[in-house]
Amino acid sequence: MESEESKRNNLKAAKAAFQKLKTEWAKHPPNLDVCGQLLAELKVLLTELQFLHTKIDASEEELILARSCLEIGAQWSIAKKDTASFERYMKQLKCYYLDYKNKLPESAHMYPLLGLNLLFLLSQNRVAEFHIELELLPIDKILNNVYIQHPVSLEQYIMEGSYNKVHTAAHIVPDPTYAIFMESLIETLRNELARCLEKAYPKISVKGAMSILNLPNEKVLAQYSKTRNWVYSDGYYSFSGDVDEMSVDEEMPYVNVAKKMLQYAREMEMII
Amino acid sequence: MAAPSAEQSIIDVEMKNVDSPAEEVTDSEQKGSDASIILDIRENIRQIERGVATKESRFITRILRTILAIRKDLNSNILTSVVNGFYTHSASEKEFMLSFFDDQMEVESALVPVAGANAQRMRTAKNSSCPLLPEVDAYIHLLLILYLIDQSKYVAAQKCSDALMDKLSAHSRRTLDLIQARSFFYHMRAYELNDQLDACRPLFHAKLRTATLRNDFEGQAVLINCLLRSYLHYSLYDQADKLVSKSVFPETASNNEWARFLYYVGRIKAIRLEYTEAHTNLVQALRKAPQTTAVGFRQAVQKLVVTVELLLGDIPDRLIFREAAMRTALQPYFELTQAVRLGNLHTFSDVLNKFSAQFRLDKTFLMIIRLRHNVIKTGIRAIAASYSRITPENIARTLGLDSAQDAECIIAKAIRDGVLEAIIDPVNGYMQTKELVDIYCTAEPQIAFHERTAFCLELHNQSVKAMRYPPKSYGKDLESAEERREREQQDLELAKEMAEDEDDGFP
Repeated sequence: MESEESKRNNLKAAKAAFQKLKTEWAKHPPNLDVCGQLLAELKVLLTELQFLHTKIDASEEELILARSCLEIGAQWSIAKKDTASFERYMKQLKCYYLDYKNKLPESAHMYPLLGLNLLFLLSQNRVAEFHIELELLPIDKILNNVYIQHPVSLEQYIMEGSYNKVHTAAHIVPDPTYAIFMESLIETLRNELARCLEKAYPKISVKGAMSILNLPNEKVLAQYSKTRNWVYSDGYYSFSGDVDEMSVDEEMPYVNVAKKMLQYAREMEMII
Repeated sequence: MAAPSAEQSIIDVEMKNVDSPAEEVTDSEQKGSDASIILDIRENIRQIERGVATKESRFITRILRTILAIRKDLNSNILTSVVNGFYTHSASEKEFMLSFFDDQMEVESALVPVAGANAQRMRTAKNSSCPLLPEVDAYIHLLLILYLIDQSKYVAAQKCSDALMDKLSAHSRRTLDLIQARSFFYHMRAYELNDQLDACRPLFHAKLRTATLRNDFEGQAVLINCLLRSYLHYSLYDQADKLVSKSVFPETASNNEWARFLYYVGRIKAIRLEYTEAHTNLVQALRKAPQTTAVGFRQAVQKLVVTVELLLGDIPDRLIFREAAMRTALQPYFELTQAVRLGNLHTFSDVLNKFSAQFRLDKTFLMIIRLRHNVIKTGIRAIAASYSRITPENIARTLGLDSAQDAECIIAKAIRDGVLEAIIDPVNGYMQTKELVDIYCTAEPQIAFHERTAFCLELHNQSVKAMRYPPKSYGKDLESAEERREREQQDLELAKEMAEDEDDGFP
């Protein structure tokens, strides 16, 4: 009986703390430091309840409380631009979204957050994990849900190389929180594009480079070109990286051939 | 060890004597075939007892192989009489087993006396009061579960399987391992048919730990496969991948289990975009799978192989689509392959829409969506082969892309990925393909040759490993050496005798 009593008290305390957090979070703009503190306190309180899924018989109320708390936590980490903490919150949230799928009513924040997680993986270039996450979602949602569709089509554009479509997609994000990862994604893409340019063009005009790399003016371009060692001469940038690679290719791969031959010899020996 | 085996042989003799009158009782044809199956089962149970007594797993393996043949002919009549015959020691267990037939009792009531008459004879009076061997118990349970699954009584099958799992956990006998491994599989199957595949995961994890500690290889293999199946059913690729990387699949597992395992691993790798590894695993799975039966499994693997090959940028052999067993199942994939080969985005999306339901069912839909950029790549390559100079506008039009700027970026990426050898002229705005270098001047032929040699060597090694040697065959050599010595001795004696004879010949 005593444990029952203490459990109820814990739940009450957690609820009160959650209300506090909720009102703080709803303010425009919320005080992030206060929220962080409240979150930390709340998490301690939640561990007293069924937070860590050691038993199956947690009440719906507790689960929803924990879930909403984690959702705010994830959004808070986005606002703080703390990606590591966002990843942690998402990992914890996934249990609530997937394992308790049949027990809990669907959360309104579920798809925006899952989409955000996908975008996060994409911006970190963790494509394998991206696809694993994707397999967990029902196909209809992947094709029709705005929040999920956005990162999915982005991934497709990147794979096939239509980078300028990514740039246009960057301006029509389904949720303002997506912007933070879009920035880092575009940064990665720019480097990728620059590498493509070096390979595909012998030289490129300032205007062309600007439009392809999606840079606002010549000054920024000039700065960027310096980081990649591009040479500027009358209106064109030319690239020098290629020449070295060619000479490496020309060399005979002695070591490789010798290794292969030895391997063959060993295998033949085993067969005979 | 000698005493029980002697007892065993006495039982054997006794049982044979009893069998003949039992056969005479059943006169109609149906009863006759039933009786012969009961006989088979009884014979099998005797084999199991022998296997346990001699601690030889060979007998049990053989019994488990016949289980599928018996499964086809099982009916409630057979099972009731087997249960009645063998569960003579405990009324509660017998009742539990018979409770699964409740609804049919009235129909069978006429046959019960017959079964009752058999009951005393299935086991000798001396043995009938002592409990059954756990192996025999598990075997009868297994037959019952199979019957219930075939009768679509899934809830009952699950209940029966749960009871079996409880019983099995109580024992720790090495002779039980093989039957236990088989029971795990059907336990999983019963839960799967009830759509509760996730519910048996904790049990299997616990059992896997025990099996690993006890070096129960067959059990390990079956359990790992069951767990993987359960994870993949719910698309939990992350967990499945971790399980594969953290556990070691036993070398000595049977070919069927290997085939399953390789298929699951191939699937995981394909999702993780490790296509080359996925391909090797899947091809191995196809090779290890039974070649004449298991059509469903081979179809599933082949579908995945085709998808992965396309993702690798290869075009699968046309021959595999022609095989009789595969033709209808692979039709969607055949059309998909054609779309990719032509490099036309419109045909590709047509195929995607037409067969989307099928692809979703096969769980390949998301992988096929990934194919889109492969289609574009093939298209670009075809264009580069036929034009030496072309503007991005024209490329966009031919491939069905949205704009010229898209096309320019896509070409740039294709060049960087090494899909084609070309440069883009920024001044005049066209793509110019580079003159093809003589491919025989590069290391390309050597690499291709190496790939094939490596494949052949790998194939050879795998088939050497797959060969089975009869157990204790080295004993034969020893015997023959002994024999030779004996023969030589005899030869020597003969020679001596002959010499003596010769001596005698000369007085």
